[in-house]
Amino acid sequence: MPLRAGARLAVMLCAAAPVLASAQENKDLDFIPGAVQGSAPGQAPESGAPPRTPRGRYYLEDALTWSSLREGLVVPFPPPSPPRWQNRTSLDAFNQWDLGEHLTATVSDRFNVLEQSGVGFPSRQSFRNDFREGYVTWEPATRNYLETGRINVRNGVALGFNPTDFFKTRTLVDQASLDPSVIRQNRLGTLMARGQSIGDGGSAAIAWAPKFYSPAPISSNAQPSLDPQFDKTNAAGRLLLSANYDIADLSPQALVYHESGRTKFGLNLSRQIGQSVVAYAEWAGGKQPNFIAQALAYGKQTGTLPVNAPTLPPTDSAERFRNDLAIGASWSSAAKTTLNLEYHYHEAGFSRQDLKNWFALGGANADLPAVTGELWYIRGFANAQQQPLTRHQVFLRANWTDAFVSNLELGAFAFVNLYDGSSLTQISASYYLSDTWTVRGYATANVGSKRSERGSALQAGGAIFQLVRYF
Amino acid sequence: MTRAMERTATRSIVAGLATLAVLTANAPAQQGNAPAAADILAASDRVRNPDQAFRLTNTLIEYVKGQPRNRVVLAIYAREDKGTRQFSNLVRYVDPPRDAGKMVLLNAPTLWFYDPASKASIRISPQQRLIGQASNADVLTVNLARDYAAKLVGEETLQDADRKERDCWHLDMAAATPDALYSRVELWIERGTYRSVKGKFYSDSGRLLKIAYYRKYELQLGAVRPTETIIIDAVDSNLVTTVTSSAYRFQAIPDAWFQRDFLPRLKAD
Repeated sequence: MPLRAGARLAVMLCAAAPVLASAQENKDLDFIPGAVQGSAPGQAPESGAPPRTPRGRYYLEDALTWSSLREGLVVPFPPPSPPRWQNRTSLDAFNQWDLGEHLTATVSDRFNVLEQSGVGFPSRQSFRNDFREGYVTWEPATRNYLETGRINVRNGVALGFNPTDFFKTRTLVDQASLDPSVIRQNRLGTLMARGQSIGDGGSAAIAWAPKFYSPAPISSNAQPSLDPQFDKTNAAGRLLLSANYDIADLSPQALVYHESGRTKFGLNLSRQIGQSVVAYAEWAGGKQPNFIAQALAYGKQTGTLPVNAPTLPPTDSAERFRNDLAIGASWSSAAKTTLNLEYHYHEAGFSRQDLKNWFALGGANADLPAVTGELWYIRGFANAQQQPLTRHQVFLRANWTDAFVSNLELGAFAFVNLYDGSSLTQISASYYLSDTWTVRGYATANVGSKRSERGSALQAGGAIFQLVRYF
Repeated sequence: MTRAMERTATRSIVAGLATLAVLTANAPAQQGNAPAAADILAASDRVRNPDQAFRLTNTLIEYVKGQPRNRVVLAIYAREDKGTRQFSNLVRYVDPPRDAGKMVLLNAPTLWFYDPASKASIRISPQQRLIGQASNADVLTVNLARDYAAKLVGEETLQDADRKERDCWHLDMAAATPDALYSRVELWIERGTYRSVKGKFYSDSGRLLKIAYYRKYELQLGAVRPTETIIIDAVDSNLVTTVTSSAYRFQAIPDAWFQRDFLPRLKAD
């Protein structure tokens, strides 16, 4: 009898099996909001007709910056000091227009209104325009392009340091964040003529930027101006050839760059490893003097340093083949986090001994502005060139999308000097209030001992509050 | 009831459940007319995906606790490689304004993200397809039959998103290529029409990540296809996203489009 009962139960369960499974599955429908379930076929709730893809991008941004400045530096920073606080209101615009069937015009610009400590408002220093790009593109044959004007040409696969981004020098303008990926969003293009051909498996490009101006002096502070600053970007004749053709899933890009009689070669590679990792490497090399000699030569050429200024710190200024390398990887997790780790090698940069010499000379001559000014000029030159000061550096970056709550994005990065362990660190939080409003906060710190690269920086730390309205 | 009777009854129930398990496992064999799982999956791919290069617009609306919160509009360009059966995808952000112009390129196995503001093309991993307010993995066109090995679990009657009963084949699919984003997928496909009704997507650890319902089947590009997918976040069921497809059209898409250097050149339309 019990056996027959068990068999009956088995038969009943067999008959009911699909229904039982489905009943369980159907409970998932309870998660669908009523507004979605009730929408009529063919209509997306509250979506309306899909918008046309906009050709432009406009936003209004306000960034309030507060800086904490160090006292008692080993090597005193030459005046003027940067402002303790600054408020920048910017209208940022990018747009493209079709001038004809195969002719396009592109303009990218930012107009800034600045208020800062120690400067009256309004004054000549209250307004600055960053004319980033303005060029026309002609497509005489399918996917063959000729363009001329001010163009922002960017190359490189790394995040923290791009050896193959040859047109990056002297392009920096004010930015809210020190994050390299944010800095790139507001940099000046170069007046050039450019041709590009894109085929099925690869592409090739040539860019020629003539010299229109004499080199402009490097200033520690961005000078408010409505001037397009072509003297920053077109102070030397430059030629860049680049080509890429996908081989072995490496997405290689080869580059040859020529400027002022010197030629550099470059290579970019990247490769996916598994589902979560992308490894990448970026190399450039060419004959050049070391970094100190480059800075001093430029300072003398532009009149910032006297022609008889000594080489400080003393260095081997011989011209020889020197390498730049950024090698790293990104790792992403299912928790919507992405981590980047990069090693940067800048052979022309300060050696450990150069760094020691810099502090020894500066410390011993702290009351001699000619010496300390020259020493700080070298560091300002590194910043203007967007190159590491020292030979070895590590870059770490972390990003977390939808952190804790939807629409909150947290980020952090650090540049770590491998000689002295000092670091430039920044943490950030972005919250997307709506489709058009974003609020952000940044906190930055230069961390290290008094005789370290970052610990000797004038700015100990800072905070930025930013509000953006997109149109 | 004596202890002996209890043991006998227990043995009977265990035997019954064992029989049930065997019968359930053999269900496809009993349904003699059921096509092979791989054929069912391939046919469902053909329902979802046009067989020529095409463009469409996807509107994604994210609901948080039943209230619409975020809206993302994407223009998608997709083309199938007839040799490998693999789709290449080019995704352009149309809306919201802060993301307009950004692009994602999938030319398997290579993925690139392009931001016109920084002019940077950054290579990203397949895992990063899942990151972002609108997960790109949810809008890319893929042939599941290429990336997964399917097994027919059985036939089940299931309610679709409109709570209508659908007789379905229940497929259990395991990742078969490195291009498969999810480790395991369960898919319910309507018998006869090969229309996808429901899908469940799992992580490598076996965790249920997403539940998808396919609905609003309409005649688009020569076949009746789902024009809306409802995606329930299984980790946080308060989050639901609808993906509504519109503005379908066939479009010639050359190979040259699917490389990073073309990304800045793609004209808005």
